[in-house]
Amino acid sequence: MNVNAVLDQVDLNAVLDQVDINQVLDRIDLDRLLERIDLNDIVKGIDVEALVKQTDLGAVIAAASSGVAGDVLDVVRSQTVGLDEFIARWIGRLRRRPYTGPPGPPDRQRPGTGS
Amino acid sequence: MTVRAGDAPPSGPPVVARESLQGKYAGFASRFTAFAVDVGVSLGVFMLALAAISFAALVLTGKDIAWHSGDTWVIIAYAVWAFIYFAHSWAASGRTVGMALFGVRVVTDGGADVSGRRAVVRTLALPLSFLFLGLGFVGILLGNRRRALHDVIAGTAVIYAWDARAAKLRFLSRK
Repeated sequence: MNVNAVLDQVDLNAVLDQVDINQVLDRIDLDRLLERIDLNDIVKGIDVEALVKQTDLGAVIAAASSGVAGDVLDVVRSQTVGLDEFIARWIGRLRRRPYTGPPGPPDRQRPGTGS
Repeated sequence: MTVRAGDAPPSGPPVVARESLQGKYAGFASRFTAFAVDVGVSLGVFMLALAAISFAALVLTGKDIAWHSGDTWVIIAYAVWAFIYFAHSWAASGRTVGMALFGVRVVTDGGADVSGRRAVVRTLALPLSFLFLGLGFVGILLGNRRRALHDVIAGTAVIYAWDARAAKLRFLSRK
């Protein structure tokens, strides 16, 4: 008998509807199944270097270290600094002194001073 | 080439995008908005405390306490609370909630961390900057080190405490 012809006549959706997946899973001995799997073998098969190359780790780290709140904070600070600059430029114009950027830093805040 | 006062600034991205501002003296807008946030936070916490006291009194004694903003002792209590809020924040980390939000920090005029004594002096001197229509704040706009009167009295300065360049890189990395 042709098995394919029999399978063609079976309504698989109807069969699956009658299967209780939870009951099937209850019958499976997961511990025994996991004992048969050699995870080391699976890991050995993975080309880690290729995986790293395909992953933008920089973006992942950046995304992990700073979320939406961080973005909002950066925007708010940038906007406020922009306002600082705007005010300082206008003060410079009124005083007839060219504005060349925010002054500083204090001595102990200079790079290499260890503070 | 000479640069005349009033000339447009050199073309290119704004300063915040070009360089890290970390350690440079903070400007008026950052400091003012941080202070406004601090006033809001300190007032909010104070009012919550008053509400909690009212609630506790109502539960324990059955009497309702009515608070009026004009009451002398309410004003004194707020002044004490505000003193603790600012002095403790500056002594502990050099920044208040508002300053942390806007990325600015108080340091000594040499750039070191602020001591407890200096934080107390700065807090006590802060009201002086408001006298004569806020004349004490003019130094932030005109001074070379952007220091207000209370900064000069306490020997402190306010600097940007966030890395604008790193923030821009973070932003670009997610684009």
